[in-house]
Amino acid sequence: MNGKERQVKTLVVTGFGINCDNETQYAFNRAGSSADRVHINQLIEDGRQGRGLKDYHVLAVDGGFSWADDHGAGVLLSLKLKSHLGAQIEEFIADGKLIIGICNGFQALVNMGLLPGFGGDYQTRSVALTANECGNFRDDWVRMIGDPASPCVFTRGIEEIDLPIRHGEGKFVAPAEVLDRLRSGGQVALRYAKPAYEADRRDDRPAPYVAAGGEYPHNPNGSLDDIAGICDETGRIFGLMPHPEGFHHLTNHPDWTRRQDMRRRKGLPLLDWEGGGMKIFHNAVDYVAENLL
Amino acid sequence: MAKRLEIALKPDLVDPEGEGLKSRAREYFGLILDRVRTINVLTIDAELSEEQFARARTEVFTNPVIQVSSYEPLAADFDYAIWVGLRPGVRDTLGSTAQEALEDFFGFRFKHGEAVYASRLYLLQAPTLARDEADLIARELLANEIIQQWRVMDRGEWDPAGGLGIVIPKVRLHHEPTVTEVAIGSDEELLRISDERSLALNPNDVPTIREYFLRPDVLAARAKVGLSKPTDVELEYISQGRSDHCNHNTFNGLFRYRDLATGEELVVDNLFKSCIQAPTLQLAGVKPWVASVLWDNAGVGRFDEDHYYTITGETHNSPSNMEAYGGSLTGIVGVYRDPMGTGLGSKIILGTYGFCVGPRDYDGPLKPHLHPRRLLDGIVQGVKDGGNKSGVPTGFGQVFFHPCYLGKCLVFVTALGLMPTKVQGRPSEKKTTSPGELIIMSGGRVGKDGIHGVTASSQVYSEHTPAGHVQIGDPYTQKKMHDFLMVARDEGLIEYITDNGGGGLSSSVGESARFSGGAEVDLDKVPLKYEGLDQWEIWVSESQERMTIAVRPENLERFMALSNLHGVESTVIGRYTDSGRLHLKYKGQTCAYVDLDLLTSDFPQWEFDAEWLPPQSRGLTEPVLSRPGDFRSLLLALMEQPNIASKEWITRQYDHEVQGGSVIKPLVGVKRDVPSDASVYTPVPGSLRGLAIAQAVNPTYAAVDAYHMVTASIDEALRRLLAVGGDPEHIGGVDNFCWPSVQYDPASNPDGKFKAAQLVRANWALKDACLAYGIPLLSGKDSMYVDGNLAGPFGERHRVSGLPTLQFTANSVIEDVTLCQTLEFKDPGDLVYVLGRTRDELGGSEYYDLLGYTGLNVPQTDMEENSRLYRAFAQACRAGLLASAKGLYRGGLGVALAMAAMGGGLGAFVDLDGLPSENGLSPERKLFSESTGRFLVTVRPADRDAFEAAFAGLPCGFLGRVRADETTLVKAGGEELIRVENKELRAAFKKPFGHLI
Repeated sequence: MNGKERQVKTLVVTGFGINCDNETQYAFNRAGSSADRVHINQLIEDGRQGRGLKDYHVLAVDGGFSWADDHGAGVLLSLKLKSHLGAQIEEFIADGKLIIGICNGFQALVNMGLLPGFGGDYQTRSVALTANECGNFRDDWVRMIGDPASPCVFTRGIEEIDLPIRHGEGKFVAPAEVLDRLRSGGQVALRYAKPAYEADRRDDRPAPYVAAGGEYPHNPNGSLDDIAGICDETGRIFGLMPHPEGFHHLTNHPDWTRRQDMRRRKGLPLLDWEGGGMKIFHNAVDYVAENLL
Repeated sequence: MAKRLEIALKPDLVDPEGEGLKSRAREYFGLILDRVRTINVLTIDAELSEEQFARARTEVFTNPVIQVSSYEPLAADFDYAIWVGLRPGVRDTLGSTAQEALEDFFGFRFKHGEAVYASRLYLLQAPTLARDEADLIARELLANEIIQQWRVMDRGEWDPAGGLGIVIPKVRLHHEPTVTEVAIGSDEELLRISDERSLALNPNDVPTIREYFLRPDVLAARAKVGLSKPTDVELEYISQGRSDHCNHNTFNGLFRYRDLATGEELVVDNLFKSCIQAPTLQLAGVKPWVASVLWDNAGVGRFDEDHYYTITGETHNSPSNMEAYGGSLTGIVGVYRDPMGTGLGSKIILGTYGFCVGPRDYDGPLKPHLHPRRLLDGIVQGVKDGGNKSGVPTGFGQVFFHPCYLGKCLVFVTALGLMPTKVQGRPSEKKTTSPGELIIMSGGRVGKDGIHGVTASSQVYSEHTPAGHVQIGDPYTQKKMHDFLMVARDEGLIEYITDNGGGGLSSSVGESARFSGGAEVDLDKVPLKYEGLDQWEIWVSESQERMTIAVRPENLERFMALSNLHGVESTVIGRYTDSGRLHLKYKGQTCAYVDLDLLTSDFPQWEFDAEWLPPQSRGLTEPVLSRPGDFRSLLLALMEQPNIASKEWITRQYDHEVQGGSVIKPLVGVKRDVPSDASVYTPVPGSLRGLAIAQAVNPTYAAVDAYHMVTASIDEALRRLLAVGGDPEHIGGVDNFCWPSVQYDPASNPDGKFKAAQLVRANWALKDACLAYGIPLLSGKDSMYVDGNLAGPFGERHRVSGLPTLQFTANSVIEDVTLCQTLEFKDPGDLVYVLGRTRDELGGSEYYDLLGYTGLNVPQTDMEENSRLYRAFAQACRAGLLASAKGLYRGGLGVALAMAAMGGGLGAFVDLDGLPSENGLSPERKLFSESTGRFLVTVRPADRDAFEAAFAGLPCGFLGRVRADETTLVKAGGEELIRVENKELRAAFKKPFGHLI
């Protein structure tokens, strides 16, 4: 096998109002993948000629306002993907490859039925992302906790992670039995979290984080069970509302000036300049390198 | 056959939009609604089979997890049903995306005339609500008659079987496009026709226009193409080209300036040339980073070896004043086309905003078209949708409340772009057209939008009359076009690109044709939204989301293929020539044939009398005030002032982080709720080079002297950049003037000469400050006529003029963003300093405003002394000597201390005796003076000597230390003046608007 074939290849979807394609491509490249931004129409055209999706290991349906969020966020994007690329995506999944949906992409995966994908059924819509309970679009940073028992490939080793949210329709809703099944299968990969208690800001041991219990703004949108991201049963399809590509560098974090200042004062080495969101991309690339190359 | 599809959330789910209406009805009008549910209505006017209708419902438009839907009425259990739909011709983006989805899903195109129309039904449960209260909710909270139609139905009026019925707001014009010749027998005749047709020709221009069309050589040339008298197409073109909006006649005017106090007189010929162009060219000559200024849609500066940034600022005041949402949305989406149309085209990377509106809680006797509260709601939402849906971070902004903006609000929008310095080896900042190249229009279609702007609003509406004058921007269509154009640019397919804004094709083609020396356009090729537009309307329509592009014939196929791939409509509408003329045809018939240089020929210069009276001569004095006894309450009251209080509710609605380059956010601090001095972005992923942006607006200083208003605002914008780590050697500026009319009229504008003098003084200040600080003006715009005539309590009308207002935007390039800094206190024990001198300067300040005064001593800016300080400041910042830094602006030192303490979750002990200040300055002046040129900084104890050495010989005073608890103590002359906790400061800071989040 030559070097080129050993490259982890990622396809980042663009077009129709998607708008996080550049930074998502950057994050995958930074994690060691070779990522291409491909317009959905180009992907459809390539598919007709037997190329396209099958040449990649990771499909990233990234964030934005596809079709202006009209008729439900991610609804028309999912319709487009399903009607033109449905079969290719099924094949992609069957090949054991990875799919990540971020924000608008998560909304699309849910509407396509790729998530939660119970029992390998990637057609049925059983969960939804709907208007934030606060009634508005919100840009803020949230802390999340991971589920160590989750099969999710993307969140391996993540106990806590800070990421920006930027959405108007991120409230995760599902019937009680669906929520139960998601929980019991470890499919709730990330939950919005809050500090267990009010810690002194100077305390070297900050308070541990626990699920937000619906508390705003820790849970920024009113998601049931504080759900920020879910995976399918295989852990290879993952969707989340927050933006990991929005934290590719430490300077993206709202606290970076204070954190580095504190390290300098204490004579400690500065924090790694790589952003905490990169962990998700590294996990994906590492998984492909270990399992699919 | 048309069918009406209704879609609603399942009844057990919270309906956030309904909840929002409930809370606004309560907050705005004290009306209690028990429950509000909303139903989305799609009226599908297309020939679909029953099966297709069924599939459209279940497979396209209904989410089975959360929604229910039906072609039968869903409404039940309500006291009032309010239906709101768009008027014919208003951009219906929901309807058009629904059509796009159906076409894609079924794999066929809708037939000509078929469409989907979106509307909404609100179901109110409120048993005690009176009919007129339901009407009030519809009129004041849900619909604006300019763009929307609505119906309020109580239970008795509701038809349970038929529901709403079928409403199809289709435009039907039944009009054959016609070119009309215009008689020009005399100046009077032409002026009369100008009035009749709302051409708004300036009377002084009329003789020049007539002279041209009567010239024998012109007549002979026109005869060859079948024309004699000027056509309406030609006169509309001239009217657009000569308008103040396009031609900046005021700034290019002649001002006879007289100082009535000294008797001094002088003539100022052309404010633009003398105060904007001259200093900018002078600075561009010594600042190699200035790449292209003063001619293109945006200014161009060098970002790094491989990239340029582009920047420009616009206002969209009058349309926002009429229809706040549509106006501001169109404003921000519109300004994004300027960098897209600069050089060979740039990617949009950042937007900012400035809103000046009347007091949100105004309850005085005047009746503005929209109450400031509703106006601001709409403006905030318009910029939200425009920015967020464009995928561009809305990274900085400001809101200024003042009753002078009841007459007309101001909506400033600024855009930054990024482009490679070279495109296929060609310099990207240059562009030109050449004979033989094709003229292509890309993006949206043309309707009656924006034709003759506001004059159209007086027309009587009929059921099928397009409400064209108010536009609803469509960021989705534009985002697709943007992405397409970036690819086309990188492939080298674009020779010239510009946007269609004011004046539409007449201006974009007219201006681009000057490079090649002519153009021929087939107006019948221009794609229309609906039939029946006259030729002149096609030519001057301001329909949005359109760019005009010059493409070489050999590149056409590839250009069109890319356009198609991106789902963007592009059409060849003509070609560039070197005939020297603009030649317009419709189905082969010439309808305009004018010399290209007509608009640049000798039209008479506008003239103004400007009379200045210094503030003392106008009777302004300092108020007679004794020293306050309760400084703590005074500080808390200032934190509550609307112009200081938290506007987090706006910032959080705006995506300020998309594109992944946010470094210093608009809100900072441990609780992320303190407004940053400036924002910083890294627009090139993987590079630590940053772009910083900040803005300032200080209209109340102009109540004393517009000169000092301008210097203070420029100084503030500059200091904001420096505070986060900006480089004083690379500061670009954008001047946005918003001024009341300066044309004197004894009855309607009796102080016009004074307003003209303020404009002259403001421009002098602009020139002085830019030269002193080395800030080339990369771009700028002027918007005159910030006046309104408001109804009063007795049927009388009041002219309300805005204060002379300059919004100054400044940007800087930062070599390494890891050296950037935030304003909050970092660590207990850090030393607190103030840099810069504090003077008795409270004129126009927040402190005086709180007590109901204007005062006289407006802040005056010593730019020479400040420049020395700023150089030292930038060095100290780069050397890492500053643990925190914040400029002192409105509210002075007191407010700055509060922000730094809240931001850090820490307190401070501060002794005002250490403040560098004028002798004998009273403590309230030390705390609340708004003198420019000052910073509040903190320094690590270990850096004390290095810091003090860095500012040796400069005004630098040690005030105290940062404290570990969240209490701030201020003392002066041995006496404790203030002891206040962050939670008290924060409560005051969030009191006016905190509940809006």
